[in-house]
Amino acid sequence: METYANRRGGMVNIFFNAFFIVLSMLIVAPFILIVSVSLTDESALASFGYSFLPSRFSTLAYEYLLQTPMVILRAYGNTLFITLAGTLLSILLTSIIGYVISRRDYALRSPLTVFVFIPMMFSGGLVPFYILVTQYLHLKNSLWAIILPGLLSPFYVLIMKGFMGKIPYEIIESAKMDGAGEWRIFFRIILPLSTPALATLGLFIAFNYWNEWFNALLFIDDDRRVPLQLLLVRIMNTLDFLRNNSEYIQGLGIDMSQFPNESVRMALVVMVAGPMMFVFPFFQRYFVQGMTVGSLKG
Amino acid sequence: MTKMKYVSMLLLCGALLLGACSGGGQGNKPAGNGGETAQPSNNGNAGGEDDSLSEVELIWYYGVSQVSPDQKLIEDEVNKIVKEKINATVKLRPVDFGSYTTKLNTASAAGEKFDLVWTANWAFNYDENVKKGAFIPLDELLEKHAPETKKAIPSFTWDATKYQGEIYAVPNYQTITSRYGVSLRKDLVDKYGFDTSSVKRLEDLEPFLKQVKENEKGIVPLMLTGPGTVFEPFMYGFDDSGVRIGDDTFQSNWLEQTPEYKSFVELMRGWFEKGYINDDASTVKQIDSIYNGKYATGLESAMKPGYEAEKKASNGGYDVIGIPLTEATTRRTSNITTLTAISRTSANPDRAMMLIELVNNDPELYNLLSFGIEGKHYEKVEDNTVKIGANAGYRAQNWVFGNVFNGYLVEGQAADTWEETKKLNESAFVQPTFGFAFDDTNVKAEYANVMAVKAEYQPLLMTGTVDPDKYLPEYLEKLRNAGAEKVQAELQKQLDAWVAENVKK
Repeated sequence: METYANRRGGMVNIFFNAFFIVLSMLIVAPFILIVSVSLTDESALASFGYSFLPSRFSTLAYEYLLQTPMVILRAYGNTLFITLAGTLLSILLTSIIGYVISRRDYALRSPLTVFVFIPMMFSGGLVPFYILVTQYLHLKNSLWAIILPGLLSPFYVLIMKGFMGKIPYEIIESAKMDGAGEWRIFFRIILPLSTPALATLGLFIAFNYWNEWFNALLFIDDDRRVPLQLLLVRIMNTLDFLRNNSEYIQGLGIDMSQFPNESVRMALVVMVAGPMMFVFPFFQRYFVQGMTVGSLKG
Repeated sequence: MTKMKYVSMLLLCGALLLGACSGGGQGNKPAGNGGETAQPSNNGNAGGEDDSLSEVELIWYYGVSQVSPDQKLIEDEVNKIVKEKINATVKLRPVDFGSYTTKLNTASAAGEKFDLVWTANWAFNYDENVKKGAFIPLDELLEKHAPETKKAIPSFTWDATKYQGEIYAVPNYQTITSRYGVSLRKDLVDKYGFDTSSVKRLEDLEPFLKQVKENEKGIVPLMLTGPGTVFEPFMYGFDDSGVRIGDDTFQSNWLEQTPEYKSFVELMRGWFEKGYINDDASTVKQIDSIYNGKYATGLESAMKPGYEAEKKASNGGYDVIGIPLTEATTRRTSNITTLTAISRTSANPDRAMMLIELVNNDPELYNLLSFGIEGKHYEKVEDNTVKIGANAGYRAQNWVFGNVFNGYLVEGQAADTWEETKKLNESAFVQPTFGFAFDDTNVKAEYANVMAVKAEYQPLLMTGTVDPDKYLPEYLEKLRNAGAEKVQAELQKQLDAWVAENVKK
C-alpha cells in the first residue's frame, strides 16, 4: 500500500528529511561540543581551541570535579529534594485549585479565577518578596525558600483549569448519583482523566525547580544547601562579571588561574544538565499528548 | 474508608508544609536572639569605653571568586582571635563576585541586619549605596576606634571616599595608582632587537608591530579588547574630568571633540588597516584561550610594581617587558576599587569599627583571612612570602579584607613589592580634580543615553575597526542628540562648585 508521503514523490521526501537532519544537527551539535570540550586536555584547548572531537583526550576535568565529590553530591541531593518535593506539592495544589475553578456549579468560580489571575499581571517586586521570605517566613538558608515561591503558578493553574473544564460535567454528576463524595470524584475520576495535563505541567514544574537558581542566590548562604544550578551559575557569572569589569579590577590583580578552567566548567555543565536530558524522553509520550489537549476532543 | 485515606493524605501534605515553615523559623531563631541581645551592649558601649565589652556577633559580607570548602574552619580560627581581642564573634559571609551585587542590593534594600560589608566602584556600587543611605558615616568612629587605620592611609585616599564631606567606607589600602603603558613579549623584542627605550609615545611602537606582522605567522602584533581599550586622558594631558592639566580655570573639555582623541582614533585605524590589530578586537571581552600567549603587544592601564609577574602567568607564561607611557597617577576611581563599609542596619557600629581596626593592624588575623592556615592552605617559602597549595581548601582575595601591605606576598612577587607600591602610591601625581565625583541625578536620562551611545561606538572606534572619517562625526552627532552637551554643562556646574569649595587660590 502506498502511503501519503510516498505519493508526494522522492524529491520532496529528500528535502524534508534533509531539512530535519540539519535542524536536529543544529540542536545536537552544541551538546556534543560541550561534552567534547569537557573531555579535552586543557593545554590542548589553549592551543587548538574548541573542536568536536577532543584534540587531546583527557578525563582530568571529571577527576578534578570528583576530587571533592561531596560538594556536587550535596548539591545533587538538594536539587533532587527541591525538585521532587516541589513538583509533587505544586502539582497537587495546582490541580486542586484548577479543578475548583473549573467546576461550573461553583458559585465563586469567577471571582476566584480573577483572584488567581491578578498575580499573573502584577507582582510585589523583589524587595518585598525578600522581606517576606526572610523576615516573616524566616526561611533564609532553608530549602523551602526555593520550594515555596514556585509552588503555585497562576499560568499553570489556568492551563489546568482549561483542561479540567473540558471534562464533561456529566461524568461528575453521574459519579455523584452513584454516591461518590467530592474527594473521591477528584482523586478517582478527575485526576486519572487529567494524566496528560498532569504530566505536561509536572514536566514544566520539574524543569523550573531543576533550573531554579535565583531564589537560591538570594536566600542560601550556607554552602551545604546550595542547589546544583547555583553552583554552576556562580562559577559562570563570576567569570563573566570579572571579565566585564576588567578595566576596574586590573589594578587589583585577580588571579584568573584560581578559577576552574574551561574543561572543568564544561564537565560541570555535563554533570548538571545530563540527568535531565535522560529524564525528558520518558515524559515525551505524555508531553505530546498534552500538547494536543483541547484541540480535538469529542 | 478510602475517603478517609485521601483526607489524611491531604492533611499530611498540609502538615509537611507547615512543618517546613516552622522548621525554617527555628533554624533562624538563634540569629534573631543574637540581634536582640546585641542591642543593650551597644548602649553599654556608649556609656563607658573602658568597661569590659559584652559579647556581640558581627556579620561580614564580602566578595570572593569562589566560596571555599574550608570556610567554616577559617571562621572558627578567626573567631579565636577576634573573641580574645574585642570579645566578638564574626560570621563571615563570602559571596561570589558574580552574585554579590544582586544579593547585597536586595539584602540592603530589605533592611537585613548585617554589620560589615565590602563595597567597590565595580560591585555593589559604593557611590550609589552611599546615596541610598545604605552605609553610616564613619568619621567619628574612625577617630574613636581606628586611629591606626586612619594613619596608615594617605589623606587623598580618604578624600576619595567622601560624600558631602563625610567618609562612608574604609579603603582596603592597596595599589591606588594607575599608569598607562604597553607590555611587549620579551622573546620577540630580543629576537628583533627592538630598542624599548625608543618608545615614548604609542606611535613609536610601529616598527616593532611591523616586524611581528611580517615575520611571525599566527601572532597578533597588538592585542586589543573592546571594553579594555580606552582613550587615556592623562597620556594626552587631561585629567579624568576632562580638565587640561595646569588649567587654573578648571574648564572641562568634551574629550571626544579634542584633536588628541581624533589622533588616537586615527592611529588605531591605521594600525587596524595594516593588520596589526586582531580583527575581532571590538567584540573580544577578555584575552582567553584563543589569544593566550599569541600576541606580541598589549595595552596596560594599571601598571604597578610586580605586574610583569602577573602578566607572565596570564599570558601563556611568556616574560613581558613593560613600558610605561605616563607617570603614575592617582584618580578617584583607582582609590575606591575596594572598601569596607558599615551597614546602617548594624546594631553595633562601634564594635564593627573595632573589627576593621583589628583586621587592618593584626597581620595574623589578616593573613588568616587572606591565605588560610599555614601548613594546610599555604606554605611559607620565605619570611614574608607564601606559596598557596594547588588544591587548597581555602582561597580568598587579600584586598577585600584590609590593608594588603600588612599581609604576605605571594610567590613570584619581589620581596620589596609592598615598599615599592607604597612609595609609588605616595609619590603619584594627584589629579587636579581628584575627589570630585559627578552626580548624575539632574541629568539621569541624558547621562544614561550618552553612556549607551559610548558603549556602542567606543569599542568600534578605539580598536580601529571602523573608519573614523565617517564614524567619528556620526558618533559626535549621536552624542549630541543623546544630550551630551547638557551633561557636559551639568558637569561644569558641579565642577565649578567643587572648585570653589576645595581649591584654594
